[in-house]
Formats: sequence, C-alpha cells, structure tokens
Amino acid sequence: MKYDAVIVGSGASGGAVAYTLCKAGYKVAVLEKGRLIKRDEFSKDELAYCRRDIVTPNLFDEYHTIEEKVDGEWVTTPTYESGWSFWNGNIVGGSSNLMSGMLHRMHPDDFRLKSKYGKIEGANVADWPIGYEELEPYYTLAEELIGISGKYEKHPFEPPRSTPDFPQPPTKENDVVKLIDKSCKALDIVPLVTPRAVLSQDKGHRNACYYSNFCGSYGCSSGAKGSSREALLKPALATGNLTLMSNTYVKYLHAGKKDEVEYAVVVDTITGKEKKIFAKMFVVAAQAHESARLLLNSANEHHPHGLANSSGELGKNLIFSAGGSGQGELHQESLKEIKFEDLMKTGLFVNRSIMDWYFIDDWWDGKFKGGSVEFMFEHQNIISRALKHNNEEGRLVWGKALGQKLVKQFTGQKNIRFEIFNDWLPNDDCFVSLDETHKDKYGMPVGKLRLGAHPHDLEVGKYIAKKCEKVLEEMGAENIYSSVSSVPPQNLIAGGCRFGNDPKTSVLNKYCQAHDLPNLFVADASFMPTGGSVPYTWTIYANALRVGEYIAKALRQRK
Amino acid sequence: MKRRNFLILGSLLGISSPLIGKSSREFGKSLKEVEKTIRSVQQHLFPEGSKLPSARSMNTTQFLLETVSHPTFDKDIRAFVIEGAKELEIREKGQFSSLSSEEKERALRSYEKTNYGSNWLSRIMILSMEGILSDPVYGSNIKEAGWKALGSYGGRPRPTTRYIEL
Repeated sequence: MKYDAVIVGSGASGGAVAYTLCKAGYKVAVLEKGRLIKRDEFSKDELAYCRRDIVTPNLFDEYHTIEEKVDGEWVTTPTYESGWSFWNGNIVGGSSNLMSGMLHRMHPDDFRLKSKYGKIEGANVADWPIGYEELEPYYTLAEELIGISGKYEKHPFEPPRSTPDFPQPPTKENDVVKLIDKSCKALDIVPLVTPRAVLSQDKGHRNACYYSNFCGSYGCSSGAKGSSREALLKPALATGNLTLMSNTYVKYLHAGKKDEVEYAVVVDTITGKEKKIFAKMFVVAAQAHESARLLLNSANEHHPHGLANSSGELGKNLIFSAGGSGQGELHQESLKEIKFEDLMKTGLFVNRSIMDWYFIDDWWDGKFKGGSVEFMFEHQNIISRALKHNNEEGRLVWGKALGQKLVKQFTGQKNIRFEIFNDWLPNDDCFVSLDETHKDKYGMPVGKLRLGAHPHDLEVGKYIAKKCEKVLEEMGAENIYSSVSSVPPQNLIAGGCRFGNDPKTSVLNKYCQAHDLPNLFVADASFMPTGGSVPYTWTIYANALRVGEYIAKALRQRK
Repeated sequence: MKRRNFLILGSLLGISSPLIGKSSREFGKSLKEVEKTIRSVQQHLFPEGSKLPSARSMNTTQFLLETVSHPTFDKDIRAFVIEGAKELEIREKGQFSSLSSEEKERALRSYEKTNYGSNWLSRIMILSMEGILSDPVYGSNIKEAGWKALGSYGGRPRPTTRYIEL
C-alpha cells in the first residue's frame, strides 16, 4: 500500500498534520516509536512516570552523546554515562501528553528579531520568512482544537487576536494568585492569566480538568489536557483515514532519486522485523534533534550529506529555551493576605504570567529583547520533594531528625516558583550531528549534540530573575533564590532545520518543505530560526496545522 | 564526571566487571548476600519512633530488592547497591548488623565521609524514600502511612499495576 502521507512522530506537530490530512480525506500512516497508553491506562504513579524510564527509552539502548565545553575543550559524554536524558515522552502523542500546558503565542516582533534588534556578535539570528499575521489564523485554530483555556487581557506585549477571547474560561486557581496579583500591582507590574492547554469545561469526547494535583509530567485521565493524542489523533482516527503504527522505529528515509523520498525503512520494536512503508509525502516530526538525526541518517549516493542538506545547514542552529527559575518559601507564620489552609489546597492552578519584560526599552538598562515569566508551585511530586530536604551542610539527615524536618517542610510551608523563558540565541556551537562511533540498539548512529550558549542569554535571564525575586519578596516569601544558567532544558528544543527563502542558507522553505525534495516536510519545532521567549508548544501546533493545510493542497494538485 | 567513575570513586573494591555483566537472576543471589546489611542500614536511617514510618514497618528492604531487580532498573546502580553494602561490611569487619545503634551511627557517619560511602548512603536513602512515599501498589507505604505522615497524597487515579505493565 502507498499512503498519501507518512508522518514520523505522533507528538504535537505529527498529530496536527495527521488531523488536517485525515479530515481532508487523505490516507495517513503515523509512525511512533513508543507504545500507546490510553487515557484510562494513565495513573499518577510518581515512581513509574517520574523516576524510571517508562515513557522514554532506556539510555543503555538508545541515547545521545553530549558535547559540553570543559576548561576550553569540547568534551563528549554519552547520556547513559551522565543520566541526562534527551528523550521527552516516547509514547503515542509524544511529550504533549506530559506537558504542563502553559501556552503563549509568539509576539509579531519575534518573527523579525534581526530587523528589530540588529545583529548580535556571535549569534546567527535571522528573521522568519513568514510574519505573525500568516500564523495568526492557525494560532486561533489550535486554540479551538486543543482547547486552550484563559482570559484575554490587553497588554502592550500581548499579540493581537482575531477572536475576542479564549474558547474556555481559565481553570480554577489557588488563592495564591490573589497574593501574586497584589504584589505585582504594588510593584507596578501587570500580572496576566496564563493560557493553559487544559479544559475548564467538557469538550466533545474530553472531560474538564478534575484538578488531580499531578498534571505536568503525567498523562491526563480526563482528556482535559490538550495532548496530540486526545485533541488530534483521536478525531483523526475517527475519520477512518489514519493508520496509527505504535512501536515502530524509523531507521531512515530512502530517496532513490535526487528529488523524491520513496519509502521509510522501519523496525517493529517488539518483533524486530524490518519493513518499508511507501507514501507520496513524508513528514518528519520526531522532535528537533531527532528529526535532524533521521535526515542525516538517511544519507545515500544522491544525498551524501543527508536528506535536505544541500545547504549544509541540517542540524545547525539548534536552540533551546534560555532562562532559569527561582523559588521562595511561603511560611504559615508569616503569610499575609490569604489563609494558610487556602494556600495549602491542592490541585488548583497558579495561572499567572508576566509579560512586562518581553521587550526592554529602559533609559538605564538599554533596549533589548527580554522574556516571559510563569509562576507555579513547586511540583507536587512527593518523593522528589522529600529528597530535596534530606541533607544539611553536605551531610545526609536521617533518623528522627529527618522525620521532623520533612513533616515541617510538608505541612508548614509551600514553595512558590517562577520560570523565565528568554531567547536562546542560535550560534555556531549549538547543533546536532551524527556520532561517529556510538550507535543505538537498532544499529543507527546516535545524535551528537553540541550545547554551546551565547553569553547574552545569561545576561537577559539574570536581569529578569532579579525582577522576579522582588515579586517573591513583596509576597512575603523567605529563602528566595534563583538560578540562571546556560544548561539547556532538554524538553524545550527547536531548530536544526531552519526555514527560509534562500535554499543556500536554509533547509526548508516557508511551508516547511525541504528545498531539495518537494515531497519531504519537517513539521516539528526544527523549522524555527529563533524561538521567541515563550514555550514553543502553541507555535508548534499552529505551524503544523498550517503545514498540514499546505500538504493537503499539494496532494490535491497531484491528483 | 562520568557516572561510573563517580560511583566507584574512593572505593576499596571498585565496581567489579563480573557484577556488571550479570543477569538479573544472578543478581538475585548477590543481593541475597547483602540483604541483611542493607536491612540494618535502612532500619537505622528510618528507625521506630520517628515522625516518618519506620523502614521495618514499611517493608523497605523488600521494596529495595524488588526495585533493583526489575529489568528497567539501571544496571550500574544495581551493582553499586551491592558493592557498597559489601564495602561497608569490609570496613566494619562483617559485623555491621550486630552493632549497637550508637556504633552504627558512628560507622555510617564515618562511611559517609568517603565519596563512595556518601554516594552509597544517598542511594540507599533514595531507594528507601521511594518505597515509603510511592504508591502502596509497590508494597511499601503500607496503608499510605508515609503519605499520612507528610499530609501529602498521591494523585488519582492511582496505579493498579507496578510500572504501568499494561
């Protein structure tokens, strides 16, 4: 059988393309390396989901090698040695199953960062080949399909919308938001309600959030979370046009001709059996670093440096979300404005963001691109919270002293956190290539990630962290600290297959179609030349819906 | 630092390669040999009369043995758990389990002063806390006693099988 389209990966972007094509009547196969975990099979098992490799590969079987600069030299370490996994939810629906769902649109100026702020020495900033206005209809479509709850409030750095407000009101909030709001206002800061990919009301086959208290890092048991599996793959399956192949690892794509991919060579991860899957169109959506790796691993005599790599740009300009986080303790005895028992209520969200520092234009600090801030409680995981407090001055605390310390920690205070998202400047020292010696258990070279950061990212992160610490101070928090570093968050990864108008400097065209091979698309965050200063997920959903529509049009024209 | 080097830093034995190469069944035998030592250490870290439930009442040793024997468990750490217990016994001339509480405290604090001992004790602490504070389906945290002590409960739905074995 020859499918209209084969999609490699079932996460946010793979699901969005599959949804669009299946709804348009095309036959689609989605190839997913991981297994299918259905809604009623998810649970809040901290041990399984957060402390073992249950939804990601065992690092001795599949891994990456990581290059970091140590004393001026690039040092390579396989992740099975470091334990630093770069896998993010290898199950049907991908990491969208496990997200916290704090979503924002990128700002119109994020699409033209170079034009607005000029060149930064040592960074490869480039304008996007499309503008916000081209993506806006798809942000709106994603908002409806995924079910993003929120409340629109006017703010100079909030992107314009084509609809007046979100399709659903915000999820229920912990009283701590009153304290955040009051403290921000005292500091002349405008707190905004965080848009969240979690339903506050029932929607079709999905039920509203039931406030389990364990959202991020876990699958959702009501279908409220807007994962690719719930929001896109289920409706796509209902069309009868989708063949969902879980436990299917793609070794490489075969392009026997200069300008066409013909089939994918895949392995059944249960039986080990290898087969070919043919299609008219191929869509790679395996998450940025793995998409580039797959195309590099697909090199042959027609494409000696990998598919879609005539520019030599494949794998280059990998980006992450820069920034950091901070925390403060809200203690029972010093809590103001709200009741301690209300603060300790579990399950309710802290839907607050600050966008005031997205663009900085200050007489003293200067003019530069800043970032966004999210507030949240410390993750409610019990084991990991307890383990954070089992040492003092470099010695383990045990015995009765441990019992006293933990009970006090858990019952007498609650920790409030902030996370900063700012641009990770693309640079020559951040890219993915193929490791020359290391191979995974399927015999394919593993991805080698060089993780160099631009010093400017740290300056921006620190600038915002100082302002956030002031908010926590105003809230009456104690033991406030923040940490901004150039260590990348492995779950916020983009770039590696830049889109652009010039085939000499980009891998994909403005529709995320390979310049070199018209039937090859990359739909995940790989296309992003710059990442904005918000989590990528909404942009990934929106762009993949746009790409899906373009592929449907191309398939119609082929007929 | 690479993890394997980090684990064995300062060890008298080093992680022996035969142990790394063993299957989980063969590990069962090696684990059995150090079970008594591990049990004594866990009972010292989580004693009776604390605000947290004790290791003895929560079956933490059984939890630890089942956890490290599971095929998904990291094989380096599995070997480290065994070797670290052996090393403690070498230091204490095979008598650790029969020491008094004060002597155990002295022995463990002294072991903690070595990088190796500190890493091993941290690991035993992690594997004990994982039991006491994970879902009762894993056989420890009996009647949710660990969660009750901290006033924090796991989310719903609870797992019905270990490690989402579907």
